[in-house]
Amino acid sequence: MRRILPAVCLAVCLMTAASLAAQDLQLPATIAAGSELTIPTSGSGAATFYLIGPSYLAKRQVQLGQEIHIQPREVRSAGRYTAVLRGGGSSQSGSFYVVAAKPASLSFLAHPSRIPVAQRDGVIGVAFVFDKWHNLVRRPETVDFRLAAKDAPPVAQSVRSRDGAAWILMTSAHKAGNAKFVAALDGIEETRVIQQVAADPCHLQIRAERNAKGVLVQTAPVRDCSGNPVSDGTVVTFTANGPQGLSTVDVPIKKDIAQAELQIPGPATISVASGVVMGNEVKVGGQQ
Amino acid sequence: MRQINCAATGLCSARVGTGLCPVQGGSQTRLICVTMAFVLIFSISCFAADAPQVQFDSSHIGPRQMEDITGRNIPRDWGRAWQTLALALEQNRPDLLGRYFTGFAQQKLAATIATQIKTGLRTRYIDHGHKLAAYFYSPDGGAIELHDTADLEIQVFDGNDLVHSDRVTLHYIGLMTPAADHWEVRLMESVPSF
Repeated sequence: MRRILPAVCLAVCLMTAASLAAQDLQLPATIAAGSELTIPTSGSGAATFYLIGPSYLAKRQVQLGQEIHIQPREVRSAGRYTAVLRGGGSSQSGSFYVVAAKPASLSFLAHPSRIPVAQRDGVIGVAFVFDKWHNLVRRPETVDFRLAAKDAPPVAQSVRSRDGAAWILMTSAHKAGNAKFVAALDGIEETRVIQQVAADPCHLQIRAERNAKGVLVQTAPVRDCSGNPVSDGTVVTFTANGPQGLSTVDVPIKKDIAQAELQIPGPATISVASGVVMGNEVKVGGQQ
Repeated sequence: MRQINCAATGLCSARVGTGLCPVQGGSQTRLICVTMAFVLIFSISCFAADAPQVQFDSSHIGPRQMEDITGRNIPRDWGRAWQTLALALEQNRPDLLGRYFTGFAQQKLAATIATQIKTGLRTRYIDHGHKLAAYFYSPDGGAIELHDTADLEIQVFDGNDLVHSDRVTLHYIGLMTPAADHWEVRLMESVPSF
């Protein structure tokens, strides 16, 4: 018995020490960002407490047997936190996750900033949902997208976010002008401005008349298929085909029309085009 | 004792002494010192050269399909970001973060380094590899959301005292956006599960 007793004592001591060393701190599995947390401790004496988080590390002296208070400011960033308590010859640790608090901001990407009218699925909106500490809110939230052009009813659609992201494709309005593209969630709104411009010219029409210098050729006001004036600077090409050969002139639209003077002494057929759109042809006679 | 780990990569890992080599000593001591110096040089060069292994899956991505070149660059840059993260935290160098981190991700890592300097604590990541899956690629190509399952050993030091060591498999949500010639991490958050 005398021989066995020390061995038993040693084994008990070792097991106790091992269990103390491996003991985990009592921690919740998850808490919301910016919450207060209290960690109970046991034993007595001084110990050192460590908190290791994704954007914050802390080290402080604590008393075993008293609760450890984690302040809201210490757990603002979402992610995994490790808590370690060292003292009284033992080390205890554990981990918990901080998850995003309620939505507080939207990161809204709108594309493109300038788009022709009536482009099907041409306007792209992507919104990421964040809480007030810039943590991604992963639980599904309903994001409302709204595209509103002047003098036209807004087009709106709601999308559920997945892993913090919600996206939409929308068709640009038929009328040119600035449109407000809004992403909204629970009173949070982010607005981007999309400039909707006229699309390609439609029904190009020209008239030509001979004068002393040559032939003055001029378009009717150039508009797209929705009736929007095509932007100044859009290039219109006039082509004259006659006995002298082929001649081409590129002219930008200015105040809705494009015009050029062609130096053609003889008869010619004049045509017009802009981008992939062809207009009418006119024939002019030779110089008298 | 200082551990130099280059296997963020899984390729090599070595322990080298600091202040262990006396000026005078026997041939055995000199041999140990030379060996240790060699290991140190090899380890540092190894660390500087390699990013962790990243297995990449883009088969469930949407709504935009991933271009081939993007499919090569995303795992490359995610791995380099992790390599940068480990080095910046190990050496308390926020200046390293700017190449592969931006926005909130960069701010939060810089805040980590600032509190490391303030408290005297230091975090070391020994990276055993990543399984990375892309699941959201915005229609305009401006953002990619990722799920990363990372096999990591995380060590926390208080000065030179190892306070805690953990070999864990962690889940991360990542958000990357394109820069001029590479992709940058805009968000990197560990989550309980996907």
